[in-house]
Amino acid sequence: MKQSFVIIYGALAILLIIAYFVGGGSIILEGINKSKGIATSSFFMLLASFIIIGQLNVLLTADLIEKWLQVFSGIKAIIVSAIAGGLFPGGPYIYYPFVMSFKDKNLPIYIMISFLFGKHIYDLSRLPMEVGFVGLETAIIRFLITLPIPIIVGLLVQRYPNIITFVSDLKAGERDGRDHHNS
Amino acid sequence: MAETTIILSIAAVILIFINYRKTGGHYEGIKKGIKQFVITAPIIMGALLLAGIIEVLIPREFVQNWLSTEAGLKGIVLGTFGGMLLAMGPYAFYPIVASIIVSGAGLGTVISMITGWSLLSLSKFPFEVGFFGMEFTIKKMIYSIPFSLAAGLIGYILEFTILG
Repeated sequence: MKQSFVIIYGALAILLIIAYFVGGGSIILEGINKSKGIATSSFFMLLASFIIIGQLNVLLTADLIEKWLQVFSGIKAIIVSAIAGGLFPGGPYIYYPFVMSFKDKNLPIYIMISFLFGKHIYDLSRLPMEVGFVGLETAIIRFLITLPIPIIVGLLVQRYPNIITFVSDLKAGERDGRDHHNS
Repeated sequence: MAETTIILSIAAVILIFINYRKTGGHYEGIKKGIKQFVITAPIIMGALLLAGIIEVLIPREFVQNWLSTEAGLKGIVLGTFGGMLLAMGPYAFYPIVASIIVSGAGLGTVISMITGWSLLSLSKFPFEVGFFGMEFTIKKMIYSIPFSLAAGLIGYILEFTILG
């Protein structure tokens, strides 16, 4: 959050200086007016988006998602973990430790990878924001185009487990053993 | 925007109802959502201001040559790496994408930018290095680049064929 704040206001300061030298105060005022327009029209959309995010946070708990992941194996596990990743609420402080916990539960590496890619590509909690700002049609097209990515990546890692190493203490042999154990 | 607001409001009401029936935690959900809205409001405000300034500042020739449908593969590559460099959360990222769309960016550029940001954003870098190690992070980034480029390329082809 702090990082985003610094980047946004840092970039804003730089662009305001550039805008002043390019077009003077009038171009800055024009930009501010455009921002005011977007802010006014998007206020209720943002409020609805955040209420959706809040409800998803309560509905989809880490325990519930963990239960889903332990039931399946193979391609079904890849699809379920990718979807579970997309449904998993919370930011990087929450989902990275959650993914790390898979290791202790002996879940295979391809499940971790498809969960992680599912979170990055499908992330349900950011979809309302995407629909609101880029429009429903573009958001749907983007979603459909990128839909297979977490599944393809999961299948690739299942087929070639050595293409990626998760952490230094998880050696390929160990990982293969875990994969066989779980599939 | 009004249409989207209506759709999202209906979705919010449905989720509140489901939560009321399933967990009884609908008030907690509303409180959590509003609290997050208030916490992120300064970032959203900054991002909206940034988006407005980008919209008036970005030269038409730049959009035409580098980001529009006519820019072709250049736009897709720029979108992918632009998304990677936009190391920020969704509340800040999407208003910037919206301003680029308004400026005339092509569908391929927009899709590769969103995919690039989703998979490659540098904001994830410290977390991934910290939790999974440098080797994993670098490999994941390298493997993700073709997916982002391919997604942009499919968007570009779609814009030219079915949507064009």
